[in-house]
Amino acid sequence: MEKTATAPPPKPKGKSWFSWGLESSEYDLLILSTSLKLLLFPSYRSTDFEVHRNWLAITHSLPISQWYHDTTSEWTLDYPPFFAYFEKLLSIPAYFIDPKIVDLNNLNYDAWSVVAYQRTTVILSELVLGAVLLRFIRGSVDPATQRIISASLFLHPGFLIIDHIHFQYNGFMFGILLWSILMARNGKKLASGILFAVLLNFKHIYMYLAPAYFIYLLRSFCFSPSGKLEIKNFLSLANSVIAVFILSFGPFIVMGQIPQVFSRLFPFTRGLNHAYWAPNAWALVTAADRVLLRYVTRTGADVAINASGVASTSRGLVGDTVFAVIPNIKPMHTFTITVAFQSVLELLSFFILGLTTMQIALVKLWFTPTYKSFLTSLTLCGYASYLFGWHVHEKAILLVLVPLSLLAAERHAYFRTFILASVAGVFSLFPLIFTPGESMVKVVYSVLWIIFVYVPLTRRVYEYPNSLSFVIIDTLEKVYLAGFPLLQLFVTLFPVYMARRATSDVSGTCVSSAEFTCPEPEPQTPQTKAMEFLPLMLTSVYCSVGLVWGFCRLTYIYLNEQTYLGPLDRI
Amino acid sequence: MEELSALPPDTPRKSPIRVRTISVNSMRSMRSVAPPFTRLPTEHERPEILGRPPILAPTPRQPPNRHLLEHSAQQWVQSLGSASSSRPVSPISPTQRFNSLAERVHHVKIPTQLSSSVIAEEREREPEHAMGRRWVRWMHKRGVKGWVVPCLLLASTLLKLCVGLGSYSGLSTPPMFGDYEAQRHWMELTTHLPFQRWYTYDLQYWGLDYPPLTAYISWFCGLVAHRINPTWVALDHSRGIETEASKVFMRSTVVFFDALVYVPALFFFTRTWQATRTKRSQNLALLTLLFQPASLIIDFGHFQYNSVMLGFTLLALNAFAYELDMLGAVFFVLSLGFKQMALYYAPAVGGYLLAKCLYLGSANGGKLFLQLALVTSLSFIVLFLPFLPPFAPLSTILDPITRIFPFARGLFEDKVANFWCASNVVFKWKNWASRSLLIKLSTALTVLGFLPNVVIALRVAWQTRLTGSQKPSIHTPILPLFPYMLLSSSMSFFLFSFQVHEKTILVPLLPITLLLSNASLDSTVFGWGVLANNIAVFSMWPLLKRDGLGVQYLALLALWNRLLGYNPLRLSPRSFIQVLSLSVYTAAISLHILELLIPPPARYPDLFPVLNVLISTPVFGLVWLWSIKCGVEASWALDTLGSRPSRTSVVVTEDASVPRRPSSIGAAQGRKRAPFTLDEK
Repeated sequence: MEKTATAPPPKPKGKSWFSWGLESSEYDLLILSTSLKLLLFPSYRSTDFEVHRNWLAITHSLPISQWYHDTTSEWTLDYPPFFAYFEKLLSIPAYFIDPKIVDLNNLNYDAWSVVAYQRTTVILSELVLGAVLLRFIRGSVDPATQRIISASLFLHPGFLIIDHIHFQYNGFMFGILLWSILMARNGKKLASGILFAVLLNFKHIYMYLAPAYFIYLLRSFCFSPSGKLEIKNFLSLANSVIAVFILSFGPFIVMGQIPQVFSRLFPFTRGLNHAYWAPNAWALVTAADRVLLRYVTRTGADVAINASGVASTSRGLVGDTVFAVIPNIKPMHTFTITVAFQSVLELLSFFILGLTTMQIALVKLWFTPTYKSFLTSLTLCGYASYLFGWHVHEKAILLVLVPLSLLAAERHAYFRTFILASVAGVFSLFPLIFTPGESMVKVVYSVLWIIFVYVPLTRRVYEYPNSLSFVIIDTLEKVYLAGFPLLQLFVTLFPVYMARRATSDVSGTCVSSAEFTCPEPEPQTPQTKAMEFLPLMLTSVYCSVGLVWGFCRLTYIYLNEQTYLGPLDRI
Repeated sequence: MEELSALPPDTPRKSPIRVRTISVNSMRSMRSVAPPFTRLPTEHERPEILGRPPILAPTPRQPPNRHLLEHSAQQWVQSLGSASSSRPVSPISPTQRFNSLAERVHHVKIPTQLSSSVIAEEREREPEHAMGRRWVRWMHKRGVKGWVVPCLLLASTLLKLCVGLGSYSGLSTPPMFGDYEAQRHWMELTTHLPFQRWYTYDLQYWGLDYPPLTAYISWFCGLVAHRINPTWVALDHSRGIETEASKVFMRSTVVFFDALVYVPALFFFTRTWQATRTKRSQNLALLTLLFQPASLIIDFGHFQYNSVMLGFTLLALNAFAYELDMLGAVFFVLSLGFKQMALYYAPAVGGYLLAKCLYLGSANGGKLFLQLALVTSLSFIVLFLPFLPPFAPLSTILDPITRIFPFARGLFEDKVANFWCASNVVFKWKNWASRSLLIKLSTALTVLGFLPNVVIALRVAWQTRLTGSQKPSIHTPILPLFPYMLLSSSMSFFLFSFQVHEKTILVPLLPITLLLSNASLDSTVFGWGVLANNIAVFSMWPLLKRDGLGVQYLALLALWNRLLGYNPLRLSPRSFIQVLSLSVYTAAISLHILELLIPPPARYPDLFPVLNVLISTPVFGLVWLWSIKCGVEASWALDTLGSRPSRTSVVVTEDASVPRRPSSIGAAQGRKRAPFTLDEK
């Protein structure tokens, strides 16, 4: 434990953990998940696969000064330097396996060698996650429950969908995040801070969680319980964090490339919603906008309609979403909501919501800087950022689900929130995988996962609803959850129905076999085109309802937590 | 009825059932019985040999650790209610005392609970190495055992879908592609052509050469495909179609028919053949069978519908176990009608039914024989109806027949781990003998191969036949022999018959996996079963490599062996099976490493496949011999039926003396009774 506190490189640590002290059931899970992941080798890969291959090539064949300047491929390097170094490390064995992998001009290379190699690196780097989760079990108050939670995180469908099908390195990243959380649990706050700084330098999306970390470390590490500044602690934390950043950005500071690096890291030219609306508050707003637009065009009401907004659907890959009726939202606005320091004029209600919850959460954290309080406010921080952030990608839901999982067995209220958020969150990831074969895999896997999490945990935490309002809420939530199978059915069948209608409309012209793989058949009436995104829109709106509700629940629980002491309070 | 519970004993000197009550003991004692050669007991093993059986002996010699637990468990039972336990409870740990008291009461109420908790205690100290067992136990402990079967079914479906993501036989290898294209092509031609032309249409391009049921199922799939997207099955134009959507459709048809036939068959198998076992071990058996790597990788990776054929055979077995012989015969005809490979089982099935007729005596047996003959021929006629006179000229029937039995091909195809291919390395059969002679020779050897067990079954049936007044008991005594008959017959076909494919190993694998599915971890059956399964997958490696299924090969094998908790080192030490397993695995792994590191020499491009054959064939040959040995041993046990009671067949004698209860299959009674029967003995 002492060593963990100081040593950032995760790999050797993970190894030593796996060589001893591993129980049979843990080996079982490792073998089970690894063989499943191996079977997913030939599955669908998103462009992220090529993105990472290209980064291997960039870091291998270019000098460091060119890394953030290279534009050979459209998939430029836009992760912080530690990730670039990580890719550099991976590119060395890659070169020996197949030199074509690291050839910069070998765009869209997808030979078996590169697929197997990159997929293997994901599996291996995910061992960090596994090792950290094991550590969570070892020192926990209730190891049996923590074991279920750890297993559920290690086998999380989010990781399976995003990392092992879609292709990313989230397992590795969340391994570091959980490691940092683990250090916080074990009272090693300096290590926690350092690890979080390291994580930020791997992937800057974790900035969403930074406010909670900042408050927590400041209050519990840099101030004594009585409120006195512990100058020594403060300096050591500040210096370590700065050292991490210098280690990461140092070469680029020396080369004077910081503005270039930052322009890559923070591309504010992107739209409010991603390709498909991440199911957050903006999805609800956008949906309301669409409905209003429908209403306005139907009734001919006298409202100024933004012409470009009418044409804009949510589908522009990285283009802006332009609202037709509701006033436009600029990047700066949402950014401020996320950071939660000032309110903005338009959409006041939302701003206040995002701002207040985060602020209240942080204020509460300041006054009760316990581990559990930290965990909850960390989740809320990620949650608020996800719900109100700018250009949020649906993958960011993991920022919520992972810390929330650690709270799942605390008591029934947390557990129910966890289930709601997990079901809605995982479902919201489904559109990432649209190929039919993999779609079946993702659905079946997620169902299995939810059974394995829900069935054993619910027995531990179940509480009988003790008032009428609870009964009503409970029923509504169950109804909401029951809607997901129906939604999945609709999402599956709707394209088939549309395709049949399209072929009957334009019968005779479509014969070519290759045409069927193409997602968008050419001849389309405007109406079918509008309907094309109906399943996505429904998914997004339906999931966002659950996620927003989960957010409200969690906030309420957090603020009313005084009376209840769960297992985590004993830490 | 107990003989049903455990497909008969691997070591007939011991009771064939292993129920929870004695599972620890029986495993140990089995271990001590299993090795055929004598040796000095080691420090570790002596207790089992000396103090057997520990519960029954008046003053068992207590080994240091294990029996202490059992002993104290017995004492708990004896000292129920009395405050002074023979086992001193630590005064400083009141909770422990409370727990143990509570446990004690609990134990006595439910005898099965007692044994299981003893085992649980045992295993907490000595952790169990089977992932499947651990998981099932965990689910039971959590009180969520109701979820075990649904989870198993879902998980196996997931695995099938995941395997299906990979490549398949003949992917992007025009002009002929592979088995995938063959199956798809049959959908195409059955959808668009009349019955009469199915077996004659363009035979050069994957002409239909499976029996009619395959054709009907292809027809059904073709119709569905035609409704979804006509381009998938457009006549002639769709040849070699490899779109993502059509692949998913094809894959899902396999998953669908597998779920329709094979999975229920497996489920009912565990519920009928293992009716006297606990739910837990039934579920374990289901798990073992569902995740069998060979059938997963061939059906869902390589692409075939073997599970349908195997499933029908299995349904037939289940029906036989229920004494529904007519239904069983129909199922077996369906199996034959789906794929002619089911013929490998035919001697065993025929032998069994004949033995049953013999056993029932002249009147009942004769009646049954006639009924079976009628039902069988009727089902065949129904199956071939479209090719028969009212619908087609009589000559049409010859088309499917000649297509199904292609004697015009060579002795063996590719490299297959059977007798002919292996011996061909040193002895070139083709130069030495004409084809017709080889056909005769292979037929003769095959018959010789399956005859012993069939003869044994008939002999047993004859000896135990019922005389006029005796009421037929609910189960024929030959039933425990049946899996061994199936194994030896299918294995002898695989080893010696004409025109065998490497994939056909799935046929003999089914009975041996059934046998293995409820064997304990250190029994001989387990050792043989897993060895045969692993080597079967290994023997298909050249094929899988060609299909691009290397990763799936690795993943499925690792997962299944882990699920079973298989470790050859943990088999009974220095027994034949352990030595064999270890040497075969060493050879197999070295071959893989060699293949990875060195390209084959130019002179022998087939070096690695040939070496593969040379490693696998002896294993299959030994499995075949072993199945005969087991058949003989089982017949010894059955021989004593009704005559002198013998200690070699505890349960069987008990079975014969006690009138059989009709509820024994699948009834809770049978399961509850099992522990007591053994305790009483």
